[in-house]
Amino acid sequence: MKVALLSESPADEAALRVLVAALLPDALQYVGPGYRARGWPNVGQVMPSVLRHLHFNTDAEALVVVVDSDDSVVHSPAHDAPGYFHPQCRMCQLRAIYRLTTRRLPPAQGRDRVVRAIGVAVPAIEAWYLCGRDATVSEAAWIEGQERGRLPYDRADLKRRVYGTDRPSLVLQTAVAVREAERHRRDPRRLENDFPGFAALAADLRRMPPRTDAR
Amino acid sequence: MISSIAFRNFRALRNTQVRLVPFNVVIGPNGSGKTSLIEAVMRLSTLSKLGLGTGEVETKLPGGPEIDVTFDEPFAGVVVHMSCVSDVRCDALRVGVRDVGRWPELQAELGTIRSYVLDHEALARVARRGDGAELGRTGDNLAAVLAHRRDHAPAAFADLTGEMLRLMPEFRELVLTELPEGGVEFGLRLIDNGLVPAAELSQGMLYLTGILALAYDPDPPRLLCIEEVDRGIHPRMLRALRDLLYRLSYPQASGVARRPVQVITTSHSPYFIDLFRDHPEEVVISHKHGRAATFSRLIDRPDLGELLRDGSLGDMWFSGILGGVPEEG
Ligand SMILES: [Zn+2]
Repeated sequence: MKVALLSESPADEAALRVLVAALLPDALQYVGPGYRARGWPNVGQVMPSVLRHLHFNTDAEALVVVVDSDDSVVHSPAHDAPGYFHPQCRMCQLRAIYRLTTRRLPPAQGRDRVVRAIGVAVPAIEAWYLCGRDATVSEAAWIEGQERGRLPYDRADLKRRVYGTDRPSLVLQTAVAVREAERHRRDPRRLENDFPGFAALAADLRRMPPRTDAR
Repeated sequence: MISSIAFRNFRALRNTQVRLVPFNVVIGPNGSGKTSLIEAVMRLSTLSKLGLGTGEVETKLPGGPEIDVTFDEPFAGVVVHMSCVSDVRCDALRVGVRDVGRWPELQAELGTIRSYVLDHEALARVARRGDGAELGRTGDNLAAVLAHRRDHAPAAFADLTGEMLRLMPEFRELVLTELPEGGVEFGLRLIDNGLVPAAELSQGMLYLTGILALAYDPDPPRLLCIEEVDRGIHPRMLRALRDLLYRLSYPQASGVARRPVQVITTSHSPYFIDLFRDHPEEVVISHKHGRAATFSRLIDRPDLGELLRDGSLGDMWFSGILGGVPEEG
C-alpha cells in the first residue's frame, strides 16, 4: 500500500512509520517527502492541499495524519453518532476536513480517493511513549483531569518523563520515539486500550482495503 | 549570567527593562532596539576590560544614556551601572559596581562575551592559519578556527564534524586545505567524492557551519549574542538550529558537561518563533512606538494559553496581537 504521512515533526514521523508498518495489513511504500505541519491549527490548514496534491499528483492510496490534542476536547464514542461533529475536537475536525475535501474530487490516478487514517495523541505523542511504562498516563486519566479542572500532567511533564528533559534535541526525541514505537509494534494492545485516539488510527489502518491490482 | 538590563535614553530604549534567561530570542521590527540590546551587552564587555571606576559616577551627562545590569548567582549582589560621562564622548561610559568583592571574577567572565552577525561571504573566505581559535564577528576566520580545533581540540572537532555531516547528509567529510603563505580554506566532500569549496557552498550551509563552530566551541564564552540567527536556514532545519543553540544554553539537556552559555539571539522568522511555544519565557518582544522602543516578555502575557489554542506562536506574532510588528503608515 502506498501511504503518505502528515505529522508535526520528524520525530513523530519516525514513530508513525514504525506504528503504521505494524498495523497495515499490506506491504508498505511511502509517498512524498514526509508532509509536515507546524502544529495545530496548521495541520488542519494544510491537510486539504496535501489531500488534493496526493489525489491528483501521486499514486498514494492513503494519508496518515496524527496530531496532539493539547488541551482541546477529547474525542469520545458519542462524537461518532451519525451526523455529529464536535467543533472543539481535533479528531472530529480532521475527519470533517477530509470529508469536505475529498467529497467532490473526481477519480484520479486510477482510484476514487485517497483514504485516511487519523490519530489524535492525548494530550501529546509523548503520552503514547509512556503507555505501558507509566500507569498514571492514559487518555482516561487526562479526561478525568479535564473534568476535575486539575490536569494530571502537562506537555513539559510528559517530555521530562520521556526524555529526561523538556528541551530534548531532535536526535534524542527521534531515538526515543522509535524505541517506544518499536515496543508498541510488538504488542499494540495496551496502547489501543489506553489511548482511543490511537485505537481510532489503528482501526482506520486495519480497515484499509488490501491492494487488488499489481499497480 | 545577566539577569536584567534596564535602559534609560540609550538610543531608542528611552525607559525600559528586559529580564533575561539562559536562552533568549528577541523579536520585533527593525529599529526596535534588538541590536541596541546586544550593543549594550558588548559595551559592558568592552568596558569591563578597561578596569573599574568604583562608587558613584561623578560626572554624567544629564539625560544621557544610562544602563543598569544585574546578574544571576553567584553575582546576584553585583549591579553594574553604565552612564555617559560627557556630551563630547557619549561612547565613554563608566562602570559602577556594588559588591566589589566579586567584581574581578565577574569581570573575567564579562570579558569573554562575544557577538556575531554572520555573513556568508565572510564565512567562506580563505583564512590565515595563524589567526587563532576565535571566530570573527561576521564569521570570518572560520577555516582557521576549524583547523585550530582539529589540531588542538580533536574531540570537539570530531563532535562538530559528526553533527555537521548528520545535518548535511549529502557530504561525507569536512576538508581543510592548506594554502601557500599560511592560508587555509575549508570545503565539504560529497558522498560521491566531489569536493565543494566553501565559496561554492550554499549560503544556508555556510551559516549552519558557522553556528556549528559556535555551538561546538570547546571553550565557549559565558554569553553569546547572534543576530538574525535563522538567516539562510531552511524552515525545516530551524529545529536543528534551535537544538544547536540549546546545546549552548542547556548543556545538561544535551548530555554535555560544561557550564551553560547564555544566548541572546534575534530573529524575524515566525517559523523559528513557533519552536518556542513550550518555552515562552525565552521570547522577548521589542515594541516600537515612534522613535522609542520597549521590551516585554511573552511569558508575562496573561492570555497566552488562550491565544495559542487558536494559532501558532509565529502566526500570533505576525498578526500583531503580540506586538513587535512594524508601524504601518
Ligand atoms: Zn470528536
